[in-house]
Amino acid sequence: MQEKEYILRVQDLKTDFKVGRKTVHAVNGVTFDVRRGKTLCIVGESGCGKSVTAHSIMQLLPPNGMIAGGSIDYYTPSGACETLSDYKRNGSRIRAIRGKEISMIFQDPMSTLNPVYTVGSQIMEMLKKHEKVDRAEGKARIIRLLGELGIPNPEIRYDQYPHEFSGGMKQRIMIAIAMICNPTLLIADEPTTALDVTIQAQILDLIRRMQKNYGTSVILITHNMGIVVEVADDVAVMYMGRVVEFGSVEQIFANPMHPYTKALMKSVPVLGMNKDRELTVIEGTTPDASTVFTGCEFAERCESARPECFQRFPKDTVVEAGHRVRCLLYEEGGKSNG
Amino acid sequence: MFKYILRKLVALLPKLLAMSIILFFALELLPGDALSRTMPPDQYQALSEAQKDAAREALGLNDSPVIRYFRWLNQIFHGDFGYSASTGQNIGTMLAGRLPYTIELSFYGLLLATVIGLVLGFLSAFMKNTVVDYFCTSISVFGISLPEFFFGIVFIILFSVHLKWLPSGGRMPVGEHGFFSRVPYLVLPVMTMAISLTAALVRYTKNSMLDVMGKDYIKTARSKGLRETTVSFKHAFRNSLIPTMTLIVMRLPRLVGGSAVIETVFNYPGIGNMALTALNAGDIPVVMITTMTTGVMVLLSSTLVDIVTAMLDPRIRLG
Repeated sequence: MQEKEYILRVQDLKTDFKVGRKTVHAVNGVTFDVRRGKTLCIVGESGCGKSVTAHSIMQLLPPNGMIAGGSIDYYTPSGACETLSDYKRNGSRIRAIRGKEISMIFQDPMSTLNPVYTVGSQIMEMLKKHEKVDRAEGKARIIRLLGELGIPNPEIRYDQYPHEFSGGMKQRIMIAIAMICNPTLLIADEPTTALDVTIQAQILDLIRRMQKNYGTSVILITHNMGIVVEVADDVAVMYMGRVVEFGSVEQIFANPMHPYTKALMKSVPVLGMNKDRELTVIEGTTPDASTVFTGCEFAERCESARPECFQRFPKDTVVEAGHRVRCLLYEEGGKSNG
Repeated sequence: MFKYILRKLVALLPKLLAMSIILFFALELLPGDALSRTMPPDQYQALSEAQKDAAREALGLNDSPVIRYFRWLNQIFHGDFGYSASTGQNIGTMLAGRLPYTIELSFYGLLLATVIGLVLGFLSAFMKNTVVDYFCTSISVFGISLPEFFFGIVFIILFSVHLKWLPSGGRMPVGEHGFFSRVPYLVLPVMTMAISLTAALVRYTKNSMLDVMGKDYIKTARSKGLRETTVSFKHAFRNSLIPTMTLIVMRLPRLVGGSAVIETVFNYPGIGNMALTALNAGDIPVVMITTMTTGVMVLLSSTLVDIVTAMLDPRIRLG
């Protein structure tokens, strides 16, 4: 049942980084599920652990990072469960998943393509790695996909180098690399952050279209609430390495519960709003990642903080079906999950 | 790519011309009678003032430097390099006898330095913070900081005087020919020549490789599910070579030009040795030609490395 409905289940994931002698808990007990064929958006400000979570799934953490606890279970289309968190970094088991089952698009398309190889050969490399195709057939398939992604003259572009492409076009090439093997899960780590606003919409549109055409599930990482409301089915709001609120996009937007989510919503400008009204900002700054907390991480910036908030950690509380929040305000009323 | 090579070759011409102008006029600034530099000193002493004037007129030394420059250039283009002032030998013949030796020495020196430098650099990068890395990096500190002739002398003392494995100098045994009779004579000078470039390359390659391994496109390559060896050798290796090539271009003048010192230490009959002897004897015509030849070698080899770099990096082909 679960295996049919979910493609990825992340349970209490903890990822640590060694910085000098200190250990930083970049991800500190993250739990979320990705439904098959749906889009999960992970939102949060810079440094909240969104990217680290994504990299943990792919075992692509830098050398000083490691998964310290929890589990990442991936359910293949055939129903088998692969516990990605147990796989060795760059080992053969995770390599069989990477690209074929789960693929990834990164933030800055200017630096994610290898400058010394043609874009065609970089897409071909992915295809050849995971499928047995002959060169001509593979090339035809790649050119077809490039056309589908809105790249003009794909036959000519196939033999060009990354520096001959604009940023938006490079990101399309990255999408082509990610999609050529029809993965079941696509992780897009802030795919539009480095791009022009006009290009952003096009790229998001492409990701959505790819998802529809190929039935791919998507994890989209962003700090842009506008993107979330447009593309998400489910939303995970992260703060300081934890998911503070998780729910469907309707639940999160119609009924935000965590004070941090509420504050995030209020700080988004809306078209047509009074020009003289000042945008709401969240007071204070994000604490340093190595800060040790005795209570809720958000308490010191929280408008509704009570003395208790500084003394003990809140538990995940299910407030309605599929909607959970990690805040003391809701612990008595809801059913505790932890 | 073809266009790039053509453009590089065309660009050689003004460089060569500029070099010849600087060289000619720099030597023109030397103090003393220009006539004295065209013949051995004792012969010059024996001449009377009238004879000197006649000789100057005959040799065209009274003409303006600009005219003499073009005359000199014209001669060179016709393959006439003039005659040594101290021995009276044809410089072209002297050069033909010595240039191949220097080319051989420089070529093997460059080859050895590049191969060993790259291999050790990559090893240090992959085995970062291991004994191998510490060994390579600390050895390279010596190579960078000590002058080449020091190593030359140490090698002679060690391998020739004490161990008696290799000859201390010269070119090949008297009356023998062929590559294999030359090899023992090449080992020490080539090693000495390669040592400082190798040392620089080890450090540079290591840093360049570590830098490239942290790039986003390496993450992309990993996210494709490629093997770590494919990631390192296909995606990182070629990119890390690009800055390394720049280092080689920058060090080439030292390598080729520095052969004078090494040739002297090993009494190796190349053009560096020839230039040094000529300088000591005040033999200006020979100094001009040997310096010019060294300059041409540096220009040609750096053009070659530029072309290799362009083959590695498509972005350079446009520039």
